[in-house]
Amino acid sequence: MKPLLGTLYLLGMLVPRGLGYDRFPARHRREVVDKTGSPWRSLETYSYDRYHPMEEIYQWMNQISEKYTEVVTQHFLGMTYETRPLYYLQISQPSNNPKKIIWMDCGIHAREWIAPAFCQWFVKEILQNYKDNSRIRGFLKNLDFYVLPVLNIDGYIYTWTTDRLWRKSRSSHNNGTCFGTDLNRNFNISWCSTGASQNCEDITFCGTGPASEPETQAVSSLIESQKENVVCFLTIHSYGQLILTPYGYTTNKSSNHEELIQVGQKAANALKAKHGTNYRVGASADILYTTSGSSKDWAHDIGIPFSYTVELRDNGTFGFILPETQIQATCEETMEAILSIVDDVYAKYWSSNSAGKVTSTAVVLSLLTSFTSLL
Amino acid sequence: MGSVSIFQINAEKECTVDLVFTTERHNPEEGEEHLGKCSARVLFRNQKPRPVINITCTRLTEKNKRQQEDYLLYKQMEQLRNPLDVVNIPDSHGHVGPSLRPIWELAFLGSSYVMWEKTTQFLHYYMAQLSSVKQWKTNDGAIDFDYTVLLHEFSTQEIIPCRIHLVWSPGKPLKVKYHCQELQAPEEASGTEGGSAVAPTELSNF
Repeated sequence: MKPLLGTLYLLGMLVPRGLGYDRFPARHRREVVDKTGSPWRSLETYSYDRYHPMEEIYQWMNQISEKYTEVVTQHFLGMTYETRPLYYLQISQPSNNPKKIIWMDCGIHAREWIAPAFCQWFVKEILQNYKDNSRIRGFLKNLDFYVLPVLNIDGYIYTWTTDRLWRKSRSSHNNGTCFGTDLNRNFNISWCSTGASQNCEDITFCGTGPASEPETQAVSSLIESQKENVVCFLTIHSYGQLILTPYGYTTNKSSNHEELIQVGQKAANALKAKHGTNYRVGASADILYTTSGSSKDWAHDIGIPFSYTVELRDNGTFGFILPETQIQATCEETMEAILSIVDDVYAKYWSSNSAGKVTSTAVVLSLLTSFTSLL
Repeated sequence: MGSVSIFQINAEKECTVDLVFTTERHNPEEGEEHLGKCSARVLFRNQKPRPVINITCTRLTEKNKRQQEDYLLYKQMEQLRNPLDVVNIPDSHGHVGPSLRPIWELAFLGSSYVMWEKTTQFLHYYMAQLSSVKQWKTNDGAIDFDYTVLLHEFSTQEIIPCRIHLVWSPGKPLKVKYHCQELQAPEEASGTEGGSAVAPTELSNF
């Protein structure tokens, strides 16, 4: 009796999914209401070529994890200084394979609006195409994507309400006379040694100590706890059209510098092929300026082999205030760059890795060869 | 796009940058892509700002046509309703309304002079936004434009507000006066050319 009930229960789970029924009752759907009172927006009408305020991005994350529930999970990462929740989206094709992680965060600097726009675009592209696109389906066999669409939520909101060119977080210092830490100077890597300021009024204020900020702690804790599994750490910024490798805090080269440059250059080439946009590739202390406490340097030094900061369009004509009319083209070309990096990361770990697969392929090939030679 | 070579002969004393690049129209018209070709040598002395620039360009729009276009632009600006209530161009989403475009471009012209005066081998500027228009007058064939911009300095990532007052007459040298709110005091220049009142409006062999 029990096994039969068990089987019936399993069938109840599997059949509706197979037939594409929506697993969430209508009651739940009605709960997702735009807090500003405007009509409920569906994912079908979400504009990926417009900038969205944080309320809409929160809503979008809910809708994404609801619609693509078979592969997406929304995770709570921590709280911001102003006590807003930080969420990341995990995109994971269920399987028995052990998985490695590709991490991508956007919007660590508040004014770089094109970055969160790209994170949303990226998620949309993966989810709309993973079933049909063999390239994406391929890497989802062994890779999970963790995407944090807006890291500096408080700062991002501040750029919508008050100061479009704000960069830092909104932490309060000196008895409320001074605000904001540059989160990309706050990570625990050669903290505040160069290219950062101990003065809260400065735009590259490194904070009151390494990882003093809740946003930094939230990201660091997760990555630290998963560091054996994270193979690639990407952090998206604007502007400058650059693919930056470690380090910023020193001109010494990382142990896999050549490889990082090669992979980066390949990504820049793939990007350029799309719309002709030129990106430069190099270590940030070489082609940009020295920085300490940056997330990509920290990630690399805790053992994540592929670690990049990507600075998106443009080259200064509009700078941080990139017109919405450029969002689509920027996202399309950047997508090519990121996919190129993922391809290379995937190839490094899985093309000749899975012994079982190689053996069986080798066996088949040798069988075919021997049959052919018999003919 | 172009090539850049940088020579640092005794970097404390001199830094020379050789550039080769193409130019395009700031506001490209449909179907017409005019590419000028330029080569320039930029010299910074003693790490000071206001570099000495020697530049040669070919295939630019010819002088007569440029003057014609300047005059048309002036006429266009004369028609503009007084934009004194204008703030933030572009807006937060990067939009510049078509009628405000000439103002933005003129603001950029003035800003580029200011940025040249402040640029060193370490400090690079961009115009982030035209933040407000204080005065916009057209009379005697000249535009008298008083405005504030936000400049973005790349290596420090700072935003620097500057008040700029320019007078532009088609065919005459641009007159620019400015004051920026800055953390550091202004420095001596690398070169001896130009006072703060005059800047080149045409590219020519020096």
